[in-house]
Amino acid sequence: MASLEDELRSALRRQAPSPDFAERVLARVAAAPVRRTPRVSQPWVRWVAAMAAALLLAAGSLEYRHYRGERAKDQVLLAVRIAGSKLNKAQKKVHMLAHRSNS
Amino acid sequence: MPRRTSSPAAGLDFASLVRQHQAMVFSIAWHLLRDRAVAEELAQDVFLSLHQHLGELESPEHVQFWLRRVTSNRALDEARRRQRRPMVSLENAPEPVAVTPQGDPLLGTALKKLVAALPGKSRAIVILRYQEDLDPAEIARVLGIPVGTVKSQLQRALALLREKLSRVAGQASGLSHGKE
Amino acid sequence: MKAAGVPIALLLLAGSLPAQQVRWNFDKLAARASDSTDVSLDGAVLQLAGKFLSDDDKDQAKVKKLVGGLKGIYIRTFEFKKPGEYTAADVEPFRAPLRPPDWQRIVGTHSNEDGETVEVYIKNDSKGIGGLVIIATEPKELTLVNIVGAVDLDSLSELGKHFDFPQVEVEKKK
Repeated sequence: MASLEDELRSALRRQAPSPDFAERVLARVAAAPVRRTPRVSQPWVRWVAAMAAALLLAAGSLEYRHYRGERAKDQVLLAVRIAGSKLNKAQKKVHMLAHRSNS
Repeated sequence: MPRRTSSPAAGLDFASLVRQHQAMVFSIAWHLLRDRAVAEELAQDVFLSLHQHLGELESPEHVQFWLRRVTSNRALDEARRRQRRPMVSLENAPEPVAVTPQGDPLLGTALKKLVAALPGKSRAIVILRYQEDLDPAEIARVLGIPVGTVKSQLQRALALLREKLSRVAGQASGLSHGKE
Repeated sequence: MKAAGVPIALLLLAGSLPAQQVRWNFDKLAARASDSTDVSLDGAVLQLAGKFLSDDDKDQAKVKKLVGGLKGIYIRTFEFKKPGEYTAADVEPFRAPLRPPDWQRIVGTHSNEDGETVEVYIKNDSKGIGGLVIIATEPKELTLVNIVGAVDLDSLSELGKHFDFPQVEVEKKK
């Protein structure tokens, strides 16, 4: 009998949306009006909106950089582990041989 | 604002991205919302947003991360908005109709209903784990929550699902022996 | 060595220098391997990783110091289902570029116990060590490492030992 986790993978496997989904998305994109900044009489409101948008963008970018940084860290630790392990093995062998030849 | 169909820096073509990721986006929404029409509509909106933000995304990996995050968050928001009945914790959630003794073909349906009864964040965690095969650290990054929270909620959700399923299976065998 | 009257070195410098020090072709082996791992970290990624390595964790602090001066780390590991699915002849092309005067083999060891052979090459430049290559062959696994930059061999080896056998801090008796 399959485990619960296998059953969950099976039950939650990806399903395709309707066959014309992609075409409908592209049609909506093509039909979407070009976004225009709404006219606001007070310039400071536009400035605040622009700053808020910039901050949101920066926050999103920052989060993704954090994600990339953590992944880079994991990769570096893996790389050092692999390389260090092989180098250490070779060094140990050399030390062992040197010890034998000295004794 | 000029229409972007691709992000030259990352070599990302919008139409290809829609075709590549439509199943992923739709399925996350569908499994979270359990309403096909609403899930498709939400998925369309996510792709429209992708189109608007494509220039800010740096790589195919960034796109995938962005899609998972935006879809999960929007679907969770939508689920909260559509709540018509008071929140019922999984422990008190009505069990799905007992599966037949031949059980397995309906087990998936039962499981989907049980997953749908999980609280929002737990549901999203289970879906990202078993639909998208993400590890807890990746789930934590997508949802913006601590990895410890992901692990504990996942464990608890699995324990509850196991318990509910065993009760359902117990009912099924009771039915098959003519017991009420 | 020249090509069409122009020193190869100049030709190389005219375009962008390859990030890896050694041009290896993995296609043949990749086609036969049952599994492979590819870790390719250029200078930018190493710098980014350095910002996320913790100074509070002893090992991470050592790794941070080690990778601080490096320009790249490139590792490929190939796993095979059975011994004999790759041969010495398959490994020879990876050794071919590692010749004097640029490269020097400093260690070559073989273990009868697990059948592993490890060769270590260093690249000499004006400042000392400019790069490291490790070729490790086991009956069902081949590992190729190229580290670009001034590598502290002792630190790297020590970290390797530590990651393989994590030390348990023992409270010193007073």
